[in-house]
Amino acid sequence: MVVVKRRELTFWERIYLPEIFRGLAITFKKMFEPRVTRQYPEETLPTTEVTRGQPRLVVKDDGNIACVSCGLCEAACPAYAITIDGQETERFIEREPERFEINMLRCILCGFCEEACPKEAIFMSDELELADTTRQGLVYDMKRLERPASTLKPRIDYVRRINERW
Amino acid sequence: MSDLTKQTSGEPSTIERVEITVNGQTVQARTDKPLIQACVQAEVEVPHYCYHPGLTPEGSCRICQVEVQQGKMPARVMVACRTPVMPGMVVNTETENAHDARRECLEFLLKNHPLDCPICDKAGECTLQDYSFAEGQGEGRSVEPRRKLEKRKDLGDVILLDQERCILCTRCVRFMEEVPKSPQLCVAGRGSHSTIETWNDTPLSGNYQGNLADVCPVGALTLKSFRFKARVWNLTKTASSCGECSRGCATTVEVLRKGEVTRIRPRHDEDVNGWWICDTGRFALDAFSLADRLVGTLLPSASRGWDATSVEDGLQIASDMLTTGDKPLIIASPWLTQEEGGELLALGQKINAQVAFVSTASNDLADDVLHTGDPGPNRRGLSDLGLKAMTAEEILHTASEHSTVLCIGERVGRLLGEGEAEGFNGLPTGARVLLFDCELPEAPTEGNSPIDIAIGLPSSVERVGHWVNIDGLRRNILQARPAPAGVWNTLRLLKHLHELLTNREVQS
Amino acid sequence: MSFVIILIKGALIYGGLLGTAAAMTLAERKVSAWMQLRIGPNRVGPGGLLQPLADGIKFIFKEEVTPDGANKGIFRLGPIMAAVPAMLTIAVIPFAGETTIFGIDFGLLSLTDLDIGLLFVLALSGLSVYGGILGGWASNSKYSLLGGLRASAQMVSYELSLIMTALTVVALSGSMNLREIVEVQNTGNFLDWHCFTPVVGQVGLILFVITTFAETNRHPFDFAECEPELVGGFHTEYSSMKFALFFLGEYCAMTVMACLTTVLFLGGYSVPFWEDAPWIVQVGTFMTKTAFFLFLFIWVRWTLPRFRYDQLMNLGWKVFFPIALANLLLAGAVISLS
Repeated sequence: MVVVKRRELTFWERIYLPEIFRGLAITFKKMFEPRVTRQYPEETLPTTEVTRGQPRLVVKDDGNIACVSCGLCEAACPAYAITIDGQETERFIEREPERFEINMLRCILCGFCEEACPKEAIFMSDELELADTTRQGLVYDMKRLERPASTLKPRIDYVRRINERW
Repeated sequence: MSDLTKQTSGEPSTIERVEITVNGQTVQARTDKPLIQACVQAEVEVPHYCYHPGLTPEGSCRICQVEVQQGKMPARVMVACRTPVMPGMVVNTETENAHDARRECLEFLLKNHPLDCPICDKAGECTLQDYSFAEGQGEGRSVEPRRKLEKRKDLGDVILLDQERCILCTRCVRFMEEVPKSPQLCVAGRGSHSTIETWNDTPLSGNYQGNLADVCPVGALTLKSFRFKARVWNLTKTASSCGECSRGCATTVEVLRKGEVTRIRPRHDEDVNGWWICDTGRFALDAFSLADRLVGTLLPSASRGWDATSVEDGLQIASDMLTTGDKPLIIASPWLTQEEGGELLALGQKINAQVAFVSTASNDLADDVLHTGDPGPNRRGLSDLGLKAMTAEEILHTASEHSTVLCIGERVGRLLGEGEAEGFNGLPTGARVLLFDCELPEAPTEGNSPIDIAIGLPSSVERVGHWVNIDGLRRNILQARPAPAGVWNTLRLLKHLHELLTNREVQS
Repeated sequence: MSFVIILIKGALIYGGLLGTAAAMTLAERKVSAWMQLRIGPNRVGPGGLLQPLADGIKFIFKEEVTPDGANKGIFRLGPIMAAVPAMLTIAVIPFAGETTIFGIDFGLLSLTDLDIGLLFVLALSGLSVYGGILGGWASNSKYSLLGGLRASAQMVSYELSLIMTALTVVALSGSMNLREIVEVQNTGNFLDWHCFTPVVGQVGLILFVITTFAETNRHPFDFAECEPELVGGFHTEYSSMKFALFFLGEYCAMTVMACLTTVLFLGGYSVPFWEDAPWIVQVGTFMTKTAFFLFLFIWVRWTLPRFRYDQLMNLGWKVFFPIALANLLLAGAVISLS
């Protein structure tokens, strides 16, 4: 057992007023220091490739979606946010998603989908803003998820770099 | 009884058993089966691709190698599927030699395998995937490019072949030879250019092609109708029985996200169907479609179409109809389970009605493998219960003597219109027709409908019960998905109707 | 004529008071933001200047909720009792001496020159206890009731020290008339201000300022509200304009108390080194001094944490009351000796 004795206050501390004035001086000084407020909608948060924003689907440079609807992200998703239905295509890679939906209300931005993806088709973008007036509006379909590979480039490079470590 | 079921049903009394040791465990192994079956008996899993318990062992894949020590001979690595059981064998599946042999074998199998698991429909139930995960190496050592073969080879209406994925286990070749006894597939070419082919690219024929996709241990032979429809781990699998003929094959009903039945596969049942199922049963998915279902109660509207109401109200109206007419006729469908049939019989006695079921016309699908040619899974059971079997024409003829007709059961509406029969239009005008079915009947035009009330029933993937097949065996069906909202279980519905009729009796 | 003049003066003074109260709501938020390195309201109007207006509009459009089981009449009376005494007190505060605007003699720039001005102020500030306690009781809520009880106990306790300290000034200036109290200090020499009276003045000023904090229920003595313990204290159940009235009452009381401190200790409208300053300078001086005390109210609120309730009562009865009594005694001694 440790007994911690309360510190004996000095006379000046006991009459309290000098300490009050000291406190007032501190708050007064703070009034002239630079502000730290961020004017949010105008000044957005800075993002880097490490920012784990909302998941987005890669559209390759040839205009085709990189996803082959293998369903691994769907299986990895701990929040059951992803729903995928596949279909056949005429391209060499025979399969592509017919429906790829992410319920952004369910998504917890954990990045497991990105980690599970064997085709480098889903990445956590730097997009963070999420607002709508209906629940249905927040179930993102393929059209709202697709991003050209060039916009996701920093993140793709970052993930590749990280994955090289094992 | 077909050859196949004869072959597999029961154990011959002359069966010989010897004592062997598997991984230190003593097993009474059958001498007429290969060593791999003794391992199965000892609950030791031995990887295998070419071996299938329903087919003749061939030993082409070499993955089932185990270490066997016999007598004074030194321990040797052998393939378990082609080694006969001998007394005093000491089998060890986990030695370093056995592991090495299997791993190296696996490396060769994967040498030319395209590794397109994300695209492959087999992913998730692929044994190549499972064993390479369990025993294989993380990375391939081969520097040569993989061979390029045809990835979308059409083998008829049912099966699509991906030659790159094929590991040449020849299960499909042996299946076609041994089960439907119509050899159509062969291995063509030599070495790494060997492929599975049909003669001169003739499309496959027969009613058992679907099984090829099941016997294929990898994703080489896939069902066209299931292609890219679902990932297998998203399917909810329920053990049930097929209702497409009176054989009642054991099936696994696979449902995607509590919605449509996406796949039906055979389930091993030694006494009925072995490992197989015919394509008629496998592709009978439309029968369970959620579209055009009869839900709740429908009454012909005075103007056009239907007026909907609840099942409870519907049964009230139905009980009115059943008690006011004289001697109603009850027509059951052979899809009713024994439980439902019994309840229906009790109901018939209560209202003093004649209870018959539609004896379906035999179709030309009958073969000597599985299909009996008699659609109607519970024909024998319902006959045993005491329901009278009548063809659709007979029923329509008899119905003219009745003023109230209750048609009940899955597909009963469709059955009445089969062959020469005219369906509901063949029933006498003025008779009250009550229809309890799954399918939405044809909408009445201008308030003129042969049907006076229609109440929805669950289909056979949505209820629990049992049928009795043509050999008198009990075939259980289980609920694979919930019935659509507003559909009562058939048993509950019948009991409720019975109760309503009893109350009416008490009141009068 | 004199009636018209009174009317004009009334409009000016009450306009000023309500304007100050409104400005204070903005100042409170701005100053607190600055002290916390934030920016504060800046979306409504330039630099957020129209925020009080927006708040006012919001209050008007808010739903007015009267709790079930509330005593309707008294529930309505509560906010009135909180706002009215605070607003009435301003009537006796002199803002400037003899005033002539455009040749019209306005006399003393105060609504009324009452001989017992200080007594009037103290009496009315005593009345303002009722706002909290009536509102708190009539809300039919445990939080409101406790808030009201605390407010009344606290105000009754601190009123003693307040009166004793005010009496010191009365003793020093020999009058209860606020104009005369100011005139005594308005000598052109700012050392004649009561706060510069040796010992008695300084102790008096500090005591008076602290007790006004307690009297107006401001931090660090805002036990009537006390969010962590009592949700919102006596005004928990109030909404819309009723709540706005409580709010207005609080800021009016603050303004009046700041004016009173100025009058009693800082020489009111007296301008240093300029005995007969024109009225406009006097008003400016008065407002500057008042503004300092108003700023002090905000400054202290965002610096000090809240007291514990028992410590508050200890402080009131065992420290402030004896010191105030001793200070009065000392003042008496100083006067009788000089």
